[in-house]
Amino acid sequence: MKKIIAYITIITSLVSVLLISRPQKVLAKDTYNIATDVTFPPFVYANDKNEYVGIDIDLMNEIAKEEGFKVNIKPIGFNAALQSVTSGQVDGMIAGMTITDERKQKFDFSSPYYSSGIVMAVSPKSNIDSLKDLRGKKVAVKTGTSGADYANSIKDKYGFKVVTFDDSDNMYNDVENHNSDACFEDDAVMNYGIKTGLDLKVVTKPVNNANYGFAVKKGENQELLHKFNKGLAKLKANGKYQQIIDKYTGAKATSRKLAAQKNNHTILGIIKENKGAILTGVIETIKLTVVSIIFATIFGIVIGLLGVIPNKISQAISVFVIYVFRGLPLLVLALFIYNGIPSLTGTKIPAFVAGVITLALNEGAYIAAFVKGGIEAVDKGQMEAARSLGLPFSKSMIKIILPQGMKIMIPSFINQFIITLKDTSILSIIGILELTQTGKIIIARNLEGFRMWAIVAVIYLALITILTLLSKWIERRIKA
Amino acid sequence: MSDLKVDVTNLQKSYGENHVLKGIDFKVKNNEVVVLIGPSGSGKSTLLRCLNRLEEPTSGSIVIDGQDISSKGTNIDKARENIGMVFQHFNLFNNLTVGENIMLAPVELGKLDKDEAKYVSENLLETVGLADKFDAMPNSLSGGQKQRVAIARALAMKPDIMLFDEPTSALDPEMVGDVLEVMKELAKDGMTMVVVTHEMGFAKEVADRVVFMADGHVLEEGSPKEIFDNPQNERTQSFLEKVINV
Repeated sequence: MKKIIAYITIITSLVSVLLISRPQKVLAKDTYNIATDVTFPPFVYANDKNEYVGIDIDLMNEIAKEEGFKVNIKPIGFNAALQSVTSGQVDGMIAGMTITDERKQKFDFSSPYYSSGIVMAVSPKSNIDSLKDLRGKKVAVKTGTSGADYANSIKDKYGFKVVTFDDSDNMYNDVENHNSDACFEDDAVMNYGIKTGLDLKVVTKPVNNANYGFAVKKGENQELLHKFNKGLAKLKANGKYQQIIDKYTGAKATSRKLAAQKNNHTILGIIKENKGAILTGVIETIKLTVVSIIFATIFGIVIGLLGVIPNKISQAISVFVIYVFRGLPLLVLALFIYNGIPSLTGTKIPAFVAGVITLALNEGAYIAAFVKGGIEAVDKGQMEAARSLGLPFSKSMIKIILPQGMKIMIPSFINQFIITLKDTSILSIIGILELTQTGKIIIARNLEGFRMWAIVAVIYLALITILTLLSKWIERRIKA
Repeated sequence: MSDLKVDVTNLQKSYGENHVLKGIDFKVKNNEVVVLIGPSGSGKSTLLRCLNRLEEPTSGSIVIDGQDISSKGTNIDKARENIGMVFQHFNLFNNLTVGENIMLAPVELGKLDKDEAKYVSENLLETVGLADKFDAMPNSLSGGQKQRVAIARALAMKPDIMLFDEPTSALDPEMVGDVLEVMKELAKDGMTMVVVTHEMGFAKEVADRVVFMADGHVLEEGSPKEIFDNPQNERTQSFLEKVINV
């Protein structure tokens, strides 16, 4: 019984260390966390210095300056932003978000700051030029957008299939590559994209004209909402609002952007231009991997050991933990921890910590399973012989069983470390700026999907090679 | 203290529906060598493994040196320090050298310091005829050598009773003699021993008492002479006929 209490203490302290290891910044009352999209030019995108710019960002910053508060902008993707606002992870969001009655159930909106309608775009050579031509075709949309709602509302009438993507770039690519036949998007976004090099054409007039608004969680952060409205009114009055709109939609802005792009078409050019961002992404991926591996290993060994202690309760705990965390898809677990737990407890979790907890639990469950298996694979006679000499269970485990089990487990550990490294890419969903997310952001700007993903893939292979060599070296040292 | 080393009363052991020991009464005196014989599945090994609680008895009492082994309050690790056990499949620790196998328990349990343990284990290895194997890994030994190391390992704790669970059953025939020789020496030195074996020759020569078990009962016991020359129970007769004719 003492042993179990000891193990439970270890687990509890492990979890609490995870929770407090990155204490949240204590935010002064005048600083707000604002979530936004990763890719939604001209409203939100990273410029060639990897700074976030766009109509939404500039408006937000100008309003903050006007009203005397600070903002901390978090480009985490449209869907993640929606969830982060409702779970209280952030104070508000500005992400080209259309004001709809449905959204008003969960959000309070500012006065509209932009008006836009939905258009359909197709490949330039396509002969689709109206909704009627869509029968039996595939239409790409971005999840959670008004374009997606519009497509879903008319898909039965026009007989097309809807394919959903998580960001605009993948949606455009799908049409450019002829996997999908058309896409629906807000006209400002679509036109901007085409002007800056997208190989698409708009074939319909804007419909369902709607307003973009800044949003906070319903009933909360009313002061922030009030400040936004006041600031927006001032900017409209003093002309700054129009300056910002012109900056991003005027002919000058778009043509210069196009020219800049042409200079950087080669892989080397892309790397050179983005080396700072890529390096930061790589470092974040390594940090995430190393920290997660450490916690997953501790968690996995503890849970694995609980599974072999001759005690029904501890074995049941072990089986249950492995069942749950091995069974949950990593993506679901990440979203649940990042968005779900704050809704339940009211405490915000930094994305990095949420990511580490996710990987520690998921990879740890796999580790626990093979730790258990490795120990069980050691001949039962070894334990009996040790116990028959009077050695207690723990000593027998440490001196005899674990050293033999470890040899069986080492290849599984190496395998799991590689999987952990790869799985960090899934954490881009909660907005961690690791390698995959960095890739997405760079592509959002330069629209070089194929080349950029090739670069990212090669970097992952290089990292995995290093990790494998390192593991093999450690394996040799252990076996020697 | 009485002359009684082991006193088992009405021992029952079941695995679910399977009733393996059906009320065993079994006594061993100090310095006595008792050999358990009987057909496989008769419960001999289970009885032996209950004596150091590698198997939990279902009911009944097991008293060794006046201490109730089967009681939950007993510190079983402490009790086991005085009960040596030798297994059919040797169970040498594969991750340790021969010397380390023998030294581990006395050192870990604070009986001896490292130097003393080394001295003791070298002596024990010499006794079992394996003085040159101190640094060998178990996997490089033959079955007979492994079993002799296992005996030395058990002896290093200076137990005052030794349990042997079919110690020669997994050995090639030419290895059996060496192991039995070591066991005979032990018996001669006055070690209290309980031996489960199919080696009838050993039983005849070394045992003070032979116990015949079948179907979870002790059916007959007596001196080797009584059991082998004049068995009373029908089951004993038919069992002995089979094993001796082979």
